[in-house]
Amino acid sequence: MPSARDTALPQGTLEAQPNSQAGTPLLKMEGITKRFGENTALSRVDFDIRAGEIHALLGENGAGKSTLMHVLSGLLRPDSGSIILNGSPVRIASPQVARKNGIAMVHQHFALVPAFTVAENLALDTEARFGKRFSLTESSRPALERAHALGWSLDPSARVSSLPVGTQQRIEIVKALATNAKLLIFDEPTAVLSPNEVEELFTVLRRLRDEGSGVILIAHKLAEIMAVADRVTVLRRGARVASAQISNTNPEQLAEWMIGEKPTPVLPEKTVSASTPSELGDELPQDRVRAVFQASRISVLGDRGETAIQDLNLELHAGEIYGVAGVDGNGQAELAEALTGLRPLKSGTLTWRGEPFDPKSRPITGYIPQDRRRVGLAVTMSVEDNLLFDASQQPKYRKGFLLNIRALRKLAANLIEQFDIRTPGVNAPASSLSGGNQQKIVVARALHNRPEWIVAMNPTRGLDIGATRFVHSQLRKAKAEGAIVLLISTDLDEVQTLADRSAILSAGRLTEVALEGASQTDIGLLLGGVKQAGGVE
Amino acid sequence: MSDTNLPNAPTPLITLLRALAKGVTYSVGLTVLLVLTFLALRVPPMEGLAKIWEGAIGSKDDGYWYPLTETLLKAIPLTLTGLSVVVAWRAGLFSIGAEGQLTIGIVVATSIAKLGAHLPGTLLAIFMLIGAMSSGALWGLLAAWLRIRRNVQEVISTIMLNYIALQILAWAVEGPLQEATHVKPQSDPLPTAALLPRILPMSLTDGIQTRLHLGVVFAVIAVIMVTIYLFRTPGGFALRLIGQNPEAAKLARLNADSIRLKAMALSGALCGLAGAIELMGVTGTLYRDFSPGWGYTAIPVALLGGLHPVGAAFSALFFGGLTSGTSNLARFTKGVSSVLVYVIQGAAVLAVVGARAWKNRKAGTEVD
Repeated sequence: MPSARDTALPQGTLEAQPNSQAGTPLLKMEGITKRFGENTALSRVDFDIRAGEIHALLGENGAGKSTLMHVLSGLLRPDSGSIILNGSPVRIASPQVARKNGIAMVHQHFALVPAFTVAENLALDTEARFGKRFSLTESSRPALERAHALGWSLDPSARVSSLPVGTQQRIEIVKALATNAKLLIFDEPTAVLSPNEVEELFTVLRRLRDEGSGVILIAHKLAEIMAVADRVTVLRRGARVASAQISNTNPEQLAEWMIGEKPTPVLPEKTVSASTPSELGDELPQDRVRAVFQASRISVLGDRGETAIQDLNLELHAGEIYGVAGVDGNGQAELAEALTGLRPLKSGTLTWRGEPFDPKSRPITGYIPQDRRRVGLAVTMSVEDNLLFDASQQPKYRKGFLLNIRALRKLAANLIEQFDIRTPGVNAPASSLSGGNQQKIVVARALHNRPEWIVAMNPTRGLDIGATRFVHSQLRKAKAEGAIVLLISTDLDEVQTLADRSAILSAGRLTEVALEGASQTDIGLLLGGVKQAGGVE
Repeated sequence: MSDTNLPNAPTPLITLLRALAKGVTYSVGLTVLLVLTFLALRVPPMEGLAKIWEGAIGSKDDGYWYPLTETLLKAIPLTLTGLSVVVAWRAGLFSIGAEGQLTIGIVVATSIAKLGAHLPGTLLAIFMLIGAMSSGALWGLLAAWLRIRRNVQEVISTIMLNYIALQILAWAVEGPLQEATHVKPQSDPLPTAALLPRILPMSLTDGIQTRLHLGVVFAVIAVIMVTIYLFRTPGGFALRLIGQNPEAAKLARLNADSIRLKAMALSGALCGLAGAIELMGVTGTLYRDFSPGWGYTAIPVALLGGLHPVGAAFSALFFGGLTSGTSNLARFTKGVSSVLVYVIQGAAVLAVVGARAWKNRKAGTEVD
């Protein structure tokens, strides 16, 4: 999302060291631009990779790393810019074309068929030829040979769904290698791996490099980049900030490049309650001093039974916005669900005004979920129905055993007006609205009931400036009325502009950070998981 | 009213005109389709159309009462089974189990008639209706329970339950429920007092004996009640939400399991009612192959009606008219079998579903 930070010139572009290593690049991407509607995902990005190098692509969520690599692997077509492979320009119109050109991608969410065996998955890419008999052994052999060469023993007859994630990744890797790819793209490969597995993966990456392949590593963990990459390119908000040899840089610098300059405070409303509650002491009502919401040593399990949140403590006061920053997949979704009562706690307790927390009755809870299309809305239902999910179940909108349709319609019409939802009509399906207006439905529904406890997760992702401002103003309004807002966002700017206090969630642990005072480097280090608990002064 | 605040909110008049325009389009399409079919079968098209019309609606010479009431009569079970499909599918449960639920309902209703032959007619009729509805509901609940507890897809389980119900019927009419002489695979006639009365006196229908019975009133009441339930009660809202997006429903803290159980129970009860009404209003006896596939035809009926209760009722009328129309055609025209009705039904559903899919595609999915 554009904000103050955009206007500042990216720091460090000029500091990037010109690369002294010899050899022409294996591949060059020049001036790649990609727009999604009004949103510019990539703006004239240059990128290149040589044979025999590991080139890391670093950036926050939404910086454009994946988009750039999807352009390279033929999943997306750029609006402008060119790709030059071995000195001649190529058009990569599809993944098939990419594969023919020796480019292969190991996806973050593996493109494997869980119900198939290892051999069957490895044979998937085999081209069917008329008149040629298909042999499973024949088709899967090249990949299995690669696996053998890497010292991995893969059981060809094992069903993929029964294998651990690390092994699944190996299948994906040898599948890519079997196409004789000279350029391998790894999309956040370490996200799903244990520390030991990460080390093994790095050994493989180094080996591929030494064999003369080009390896692109999409990552946001600084330590990993420092450990394995030869060169790094940093993207921020769809633009290239810097490229440098790893030997000429350090984690602090990378963090700075990744996060960029501090935003200048643009919102005067914020200063009103910027001071921490304890400083104001007696001048405030009791609940501004004593914590209203308390989470003590809570642990939460993720969908696959892993520990997503561990021993997390949180004390929140009435009328504050508490920001939780962090990179996706560090326990954000699980935290949001646990704190709205949608996911059970493994251990620990939640209290509200000293009494057990029960989101069904006390406090009145408003939840803005992360994924509006999947969980926030029923896009096939009307705009009106979508606004009334909660209201329709509340006794106050009933007449006997029937719904009080008149009151509900009035409520929906009011919300449409109040939240400025642009819709062709109350009965139009929610799918006919723009993303911003869909999000307004979700926000309106979460806030209409005057909730005391609001959990908002990436509430402005994918929205334009106007809609973003609107959502922010609504959250501030709720806070001014005494609600507690927990803002979980991958957008650091958003946390900085809205939150009174903030913390960074990394690997399921929360580290409180004063974003205002902290150096960008420290924040970057925390986001990148280099620094852990202990905090920043 | 609130609607006026909004731009482009369609007025009721425009909505009505749109529905009419749609109806005209479909009728024209259907006529073209029929003409083409007749040409293929070498039947003079005008004559063929006339026979269908006379069979479904009537003619000046033979009067309108009998064909119209026959169309209505055939629409009754289809309306009820159609409603059943509307309820289940709206809840996101793709139940194919109407046939089985109906079958169980008639077996139980007939058993009650046998056991309670000594009861006063009205009381017995009420018991039969209640018995049929609750056993239908139970049959539906079985599928829902399998889905909730064992994640057995209802598409499969309901089909299996259909077979079981049909076998129970086949066994019952050759076993405990068989008529006194033990010759035919059918039951004794039900006690006359327990039958549903015919509602149109001959004085009203120009002296023509019609078969229209009280069941038509039940069907109309059912349509109204299901409409109110789905669109005017918290439970109905929850049911529709679960059907459209179970994840969103979870966020609204709805209990998906209990909603699914309720939906399948209601869906089954409607089928049980459909069977009992047909048994007590038309046939008067239970026999093998009692249902000519009402439970299966219910699916196109519901789809053609846009999964809306009122739509399903109209669509059931349309299917009822097609059935009586084509059987009239088959009776009076050489070379045409009444199987034609299935061809036309299938084509009509394909046309409507296809038109809807085309419209959705044109409208685009999202501006996001």
